[in-house]
Amino acid sequence: RYVRQLQRLQLLFSPTAADARGARQFVEEAAQDFARQHPDVVLYVSPHSGPGPAPVLRAEYLNGTVREELIASRTSEEILQLATKLANQSGLDIIRIRKPFHTDNPSVQGQWHPLTNKPSILTVQGPRLQPQ
Amino acid sequence: SAPAPGKKRWLRAYLEMQRLQEPPQRRSEKPNWDYHAEIQAFGHRLQENFALDLLKIAFVNPCYIESEEARRRQLGLDKDAVALQLQDNTGLAEQGLRFARDYLAQCFEGAYPALPAKGVEALVNFLTSQELVSYVAQNLAIQDLALCRDFPAPPDVLQKTFLAVIGALLESSGPERTGIFVRDFLIPQLIGKDLFEIWEVVNPMGLLLEELTKRNISAPEPRITRQLGVSTVLPVYFVGLYCDKKILAEGPGETLLAAEEEAARVALRKLYGYTENRRPWDYSKPKQGLAAEKAISSN
Repeated sequence: RYVRQLQRLQLLFSPTAADARGARQFVEEAAQDFARQHPDVVLYVSPHSGPGPAPVLRAEYLNGTVREELIASRTSEEILQLATKLANQSGLDIIRIRKPFHTDNPSVQGQWHPLTNKPSILTVQGPRLQPQ
Repeated sequence: SAPAPGKKRWLRAYLEMQRLQEPPQRRSEKPNWDYHAEIQAFGHRLQENFALDLLKIAFVNPCYIESEEARRRQLGLDKDAVALQLQDNTGLAEQGLRFARDYLAQCFEGAYPALPAKGVEALVNFLTSQELVSYVAQNLAIQDLALCRDFPAPPDVLQKTFLAVIGALLESSGPERTGIFVRDFLIPQLIGKDLFEIWEVVNPMGLLLEELTKRNISAPEPRITRQLGVSTVLPVYFVGLYCDKKILAEGPGETLLAAEEEAARVALRKLYGYTENRRPWDYSKPKQGLAAEKAISSN
């Protein structure tokens, strides 16, 4: 069955900084709806007062990877889109995929080996029988 | 003159080094942690309705209770305050283990009727073994929720917690849904695994002879089918097993004995129906009648 890989989202922002305006709007308007639509993601909202680090959206996945996305100077809709994107991702590292295909069954009839189409020693080749 | 004020260049590297050298901490001790919300999210993530108090009991391990009582005694509290009001997860874990083993044995007997009891037991033991269950538990983030004395939680604790979760599900939702849960999370671990990787068979030839006598087929006659590189360091012999001059199975090997054993194993795989090209496991929703039958037979 499908298990959402996103465990929790932490929204760290400051209540007074200017670049956290989008984050504050998101918390006021869309955060509750997002939490209701995704009941398997725990959403933590932690405002830290005073001048501090930039507003960040931290996503923790089931395999332990923690991904931080800056949300400074972003609108509320963009943050919502970002949150849904993180919710639909898995926690695997974002690196270049070497090949876009993978198969668990590389051979259907059995992989070729040098003896595949050679007749066995036991087949007896006798003289051709005359049709009767 | 005084050094210029402002952040130094080495400060960032130094803080990063400090961060990497800290000992690993439980997630519950880091900021932003709400146990009740996490447990609710856990239930929703697995798409199951849990009774939350049963689930909370399922995550409590006996080592945690002992460590908590020891800590309270050290802090000098009264005897009444020392005794915690928490229940263990041992009962739930035993229930979960029993149910999982019965259900898996039922599944395998239904899917591979020719497999003998020892084979079914070997498969069930593999699926409820410590490494596999702790691997599944880690990827479902049970190690964050489980209350345990040491961190990171050892695999037997994770296995116990996962089985206790199964027991809690059994109590809250009933045997059908728990059966579907066990099927969805434990049986995919068999994908890509061969029967004889899981089940150690010492004498495949003897086992094959027993199976053939059960089906009233004469004893197999081994013959060399193909051979390559006989006089080299790496010869390859293909030995075929013939019953009444009809081929049963063929297996490769480095020496004649190894090839014969491999041919016996291939023959056993064919007889038990556990070949690589068998039908994949059926994960569809069980129908109403089958579900009731399974519930009755498990009771």
